[in-house]
Amino acid sequence: MLAARFALLAALVPLAMLVGVGFGGAALEPGALAHALLHPADGGDVATIVWQLRVPRVAIAATVGASLALAGTLLQALLRNPIVDPYLTGVASGAGVSIAVAATVGVAPILVPPLGFVSGLATSILVALLARRGPRLDAERLVLAGVSLSALLSAIVTLAIERLARGTASEAILAWLAGSLAGRGWPELAAAAPEALAGLVLGVATIPALNVLRLGEGRAAALGVDVTRLQWALLVASTLLTAAAVALAGLIGFVGLVVPHLGRRVVGPDLRALVPASILIGAALVVLADALARTLAAPAEIPLGVLLAFVGVPTFLVLYLRGAARAYA
Amino acid sequence: MTLALERVSVARGGRTLLRDVSLTLDGGVVALVGPNGVGKTTLLRAMAGVLAPSAGTIALDGVAVRTLPPRERARRIALVDPTEPVLAALTVADAVGSARFPHHRWWEWEATADDTRAIDDALERTALTSFRTRELGTLSAGERQRVWIALAIAQRAAVILLDEPTSHLDLKASVQTLQLVRELAAAGALVVAVLHQLEEASAFADRVIVLGGEGVLADGRPEAALTSATIAAAYGVDVAVERRPEGLAFHRRISGV
Repeated sequence: MLAARFALLAALVPLAMLVGVGFGGAALEPGALAHALLHPADGGDVATIVWQLRVPRVAIAATVGASLALAGTLLQALLRNPIVDPYLTGVASGAGVSIAVAATVGVAPILVPPLGFVSGLATSILVALLARRGPRLDAERLVLAGVSLSALLSAIVTLAIERLARGTASEAILAWLAGSLAGRGWPELAAAAPEALAGLVLGVATIPALNVLRLGEGRAAALGVDVTRLQWALLVASTLLTAAAVALAGLIGFVGLVVPHLGRRVVGPDLRALVPASILIGAALVVLADALARTLAAPAEIPLGVLLAFVGVPTFLVLYLRGAARAYA
Repeated sequence: MTLALERVSVARGGRTLLRDVSLTLDGGVVALVGPNGVGKTTLLRAMAGVLAPSAGTIALDGVAVRTLPPRERARRIALVDPTEPVLAALTVADAVGSARFPHHRWWEWEATADDTRAIDDALERTALTSFRTRELGTLSAGERQRVWIALAIAQRAAVILLDEPTSHLDLKASVQTLQLVRELAAAGALVVAVLHQLEEASAFADRVIVLGGEGVLADGRPEAALTSATIAAAYGVDVAVERRPEGLAFHRRISGV
């Protein structure tokens, strides 16, 4: 039963990737597409489109989707709260401020993603320090500190758009806020992949302890879980994953919130199953959404974050109203 | 095995609850009784090693429990706290299965034959075998209490610490739970239980420790520890203690009657 569901989810990702490579601004013959995919060294226009534009883009979409989904799953389990989003710890708004400032003062575009990454990380650390109670993190304080600090930082971004940035600068900020993979390629992926990979390894290593944490912090501690270490490991893992996704794609909403819910629907609450399921669903979802974003209004692109919000919000509301949130009651 | 407390003080929220408690516990069922807020739960958590005493040491067979690595500590000491909220969607099998976490190294994710045996045995002894797939949110208070005890059994720890194992339970469920506790002690475990009902303490415990006034007021066999004088000292209530073949009975004396 579980194996069949996993087989289905695992099949979903390559299928979505094939769609992602197959559709785009330029219509490609299926035969030429297959040839280019199978013979990357042959050269030619089709091979260039496939290997320099679409394949990296699909790989980035899959990385962003998997990272956000995993970060959301880990944070929801850490805070034992189903309405937690990976942006809660301030990563996105922290990155947003530095991107807004960078765009305003005219920093070289190649420096913007690493700047976003660093300031996202810094904001998350600040939120964690504010949320400390003794050595441990207090779930309630983490939510309060994250939400309030994010509100402040978002206000700064708005101010930058409103007052400081003119013309292209404010467009760049808006494009980041809308979330998009337009113009991203192998170099951007290579820059973000190590952080995402580190977050993945750290996150996956916590799974058995995270399963025990479902019984409550007190019981987990009595069962030999080092709760303090687990909390910090999860926070670092989800921050690395989210920061990598934000540096790659800007603000992509609802993946980190909705995908863990979908995962729980499909494979249940055991994190040994839920984590891989969320990673697969997240990757497939963002790859498909990006293919739609590129083709629906081609040659123009719909911002990916906007498209996902249109799909994500109704899905979440339906799930929520049907009682998916009961999982953490 | 021996759990030894040497001049232990415990505090909660910066306030010292118990001072200079020295006890040697080496088997059977030990009941901790005393008024609300005296520090029974805090002392139990310190015994489990999940909370540091503010002074003194707690040692299991000569090794301070706070110095044991967490998983090793959990292989030897089980703590059952029925009050902490839990994920309602968790199944009985999930919950009891968590008991095997301390027996695994960090890369071991799958249940071993040992795990399966320990879990099956624990479910059988708590009459939960048919409840495996039930979600905790659908269980009665008594059934849920049995789940926590099953978890402690599956943990295969030599020391089992129970915080109010009979609160919220009806008479039958209380008696069943306490009988199970006796069986665990008969099988060689040291069981320390925080109990509120003095009748239960006297009927099921081999030894009763009465806490009050920041320390141990009485310690011994139930009929020696639970006297009118110690109960008055601990609770400030005037109680007549009657010896009966099945245990002690406690009658509150109302002044003027």
